[in-house]
Amino acid sequence: MLNTPVQGVDEAAANKTFEALLWALSRPGLASNLSAASDEAIIDALIDRECRVYSADPQLMSNILCSGATVSEVKDADHVFLGALRDLASLDDISKGSALYPNEGATVVLRVALNKGRKIRLSGPGVKTVLDIQIAGLPDGFWQNRAEMFCYPAGFDLFLRDGRQVIGIPRSTIVEVL
Amino acid sequence: MAYVATRGGERAIKQSERLFRAAMGKIDAARVTEVKQALPYLVDRVMGEASLYDLDLAALALAQTGGELYEAVLLLRAWRTTQPRLCVAEPVQQQDLFTHRRISAAFKDIPGGQVLGPTPDYAHRILATDVLEGTPFVPEPVEPGAKPSPAYQPSVSAWQAKNDLVDLPKPESLHGNDIPDLTREPLLFPSKRAHTLQSLARAETGGVLALGYAAMRGYGQAHPTVNELRLAEAEVVVKHPNGTAFSAGRVKISQAEVVSKQGEKLGLGFAATMGWNEVKCISAATLDLNSKGAPKGTPTEEEFFLYHTEGVESSGFCIHFKLPHYVTFQSSLDAMRDAKAKSVDVAKEPVK
Amino acid sequence: MSLKSLTKPWQSMSYGFLDPSAKRELRRKMLKSVAVPGCQMPYASREVPMARGWGTGALQVSLTLLNPQMCVKVIDQGADDSVNAASIRRFLARVSGAPTTLDTLEAHLIQSRHRIPEEFLREDQILVLQVPNPEPLRSVQPNMSIARQMHADADYGRMWLQLYEQIVRSGRIMQGASYPSMVNGRHVMTPSPIPRWDVPKLNMSKHLTILSAGREKRIFAVPPYTRVEPLVFDDVPYQVEDHGALTCKRSGAKGFFMNEIPQDDGTSAFEVSDSEYGVKSIRQRDGEAVNLGGTWYKHGEMPK
Repeated sequence: MLNTPVQGVDEAAANKTFEALLWALSRPGLASNLSAASDEAIIDALIDRECRVYSADPQLMSNILCSGATVSEVKDADHVFLGALRDLASLDDISKGSALYPNEGATVVLRVALNKGRKIRLSGPGVKTVLDIQIAGLPDGFWQNRAEMFCYPAGFDLFLRDGRQVIGIPRSTIVEVL
Repeated sequence: MAYVATRGGERAIKQSERLFRAAMGKIDAARVTEVKQALPYLVDRVMGEASLYDLDLAALALAQTGGELYEAVLLLRAWRTTQPRLCVAEPVQQQDLFTHRRISAAFKDIPGGQVLGPTPDYAHRILATDVLEGTPFVPEPVEPGAKPSPAYQPSVSAWQAKNDLVDLPKPESLHGNDIPDLTREPLLFPSKRAHTLQSLARAETGGVLALGYAAMRGYGQAHPTVNELRLAEAEVVVKHPNGTAFSAGRVKISQAEVVSKQGEKLGLGFAATMGWNEVKCISAATLDLNSKGAPKGTPTEEEFFLYHTEGVESSGFCIHFKLPHYVTFQSSLDAMRDAKAKSVDVAKEPVK
Repeated sequence: MSLKSLTKPWQSMSYGFLDPSAKRELRRKMLKSVAVPGCQMPYASREVPMARGWGTGALQVSLTLLNPQMCVKVIDQGADDSVNAASIRRFLARVSGAPTTLDTLEAHLIQSRHRIPEEFLREDQILVLQVPNPEPLRSVQPNMSIARQMHADADYGRMWLQLYEQIVRSGRIMQGASYPSMVNGRHVMTPSPIPRWDVPKLNMSKHLTILSAGREKRIFAVPPYTRVEPLVFDDVPYQVEDHGALTCKRSGAKGFFMNEIPQDDGTSAFEVSDSEYGVKSIRQRDGEAVNLGGTWYKHGEMPK
């Protein structure tokens, strides 16, 4: 009556990318590997016509439009692709949800360089004690700005991508600049 | 001594399913056609609750479940939810409905006229036992009227609005994808208007009737007058990606407007569903009418009636109590025994 | 653009039953639930070919996560051979081609109703718990909108009051399973109807736990290394079921959560509730080489 359906190439890639994202967000600061070295991989795994997306990177636009998502301003977007972040001002408008609706806090994807640059110390859920990591490519004051903007459980969740590697920094993570 | 092998459980579930299916025997296309033709109102009810308009699939679901309605609706919903969404149809305006039946209890006559259409309302409910004796029941042919009733008619509330008797809800300017869709997002409260109406359209008929009836009997503030009840067919107009709008076919729908006096104006309750189902629409519209300002925890509060008339969820939760619960039971037993032991200890202590 | 470009070739069923759009929604909501541990995230919750209340929420999570390399274990009340566990396991394998196992140590994904296995879960394992009622405040506040506001305000006073009243009336906290627990010091969650015995296994564990209620359309999570603290008063310690000294009559395993089996003579016998742990214990007793993993409880006690 029923044959087991075959996992297609797209489905396998989306499955692998999501596994990486879930793993990374569950273990802040530890890198995992996406199915491809691109933000498009993340779009294919997460975005469809239910979403409102802002992208600072015009190259992502065709993938976003194909997904059926609505292209929106930063403040209305549930997924925000900022590419390599140049200034802190673009963070102000990102949706952080509220204590009543923490689910409305956005998912934000940034391009960074891992294992070099500023040293930060992570603690909170997913980190056994503390974890020190290095991230380059974020403007000065980024982490302090993030801490000031958030009123937990309101906040947004970060994916920082370097090639295929991605780390997750959920809003629950406490970040200390060393 | 080893544990019961897993295969024991697997064999048992396989055989119990076979026992269930044995009662229905072979299901073929002829059976499905027979169900579709013989039980149009049941097919309608199932399509409405499943929110999937397809006569063949609904009849198949009924055949496959032997008429176990909750199972039939679940079967259709589980099929529906996996289907790709190609586009969103254009909104249907009331005056564009191809109307078969339209009555109002509020006025003796209404613009466009009272159209009785198909109904058993005035039939004497006498069981045709002759059929069992071998005399078929052959319905008498319909005699068409000299002048057909107009197929397209405005709503009664439109006339009332013109006469400043009722405030019509402002039509939302949302289109296509922007219309909130209950099957793609969860129901939260206060509920979006679209979610409320969609939820009522999908609600289980018996559940809506039970709570609507409670409101009618006095557990609601407003006593309904049926402003208009309509059975109709709606054109499903979709746009081809190249921009051409075309009709993809017609679906049967029913809708009810109920009103009651609220100050100097009429309050309006509305409900519609796919398929012809009058009891559900009147009950649902009555709940809608009563929901404004209803106290929390009462049957006419939106959260209360929308949650509790969701047939797939309520029936599923009800039958889940058949599943083993011995771990939770053990956990309670442990607390009870300990509490009992403690109270015995307290009783043994000498009075000081 | 043509209609054809908007659709994919016809398949009688998507891989893993759920269509790509349903999976993407679950992925988005799973990420949010991990980002705010213990906080209930609403999701659409599609219908699946099983009745609501029978694990449809956990099933949707499992179907989204599964791939042909992921080994899956399903238990109900601790048992792999329970009819509902067997049915879910068969369905998961049928629609995904994923290998199945009964051994906790071999599984990558464990879908469970009302138990957490006795053997340690590892970093590479995900536990998906079936949740009938996701709202820990339901017993003090049945209205969902008000309960949501109480979570927003971290207003758990009535929850504490209820526990206090139980102590006053019965001399102890009477909550059986589903013991309300504070996650990451902020959100009170129900750990699902697992026994009190299992709640400490969620605290600072190595694995990710996802809890999903299909009928009630809520998903929440406990990431690894997250504090999960049962609500207790400083002077009334948390009390797990008094099973530490019981022995399984079949396997001889001692110091685990047990099923009580009433006997004809009016007494009770006990069997270890984690059925596969019981099977492995029997095999080991009979001289087979068995890989028994380390357990959370040692000699019937959870080490601090």
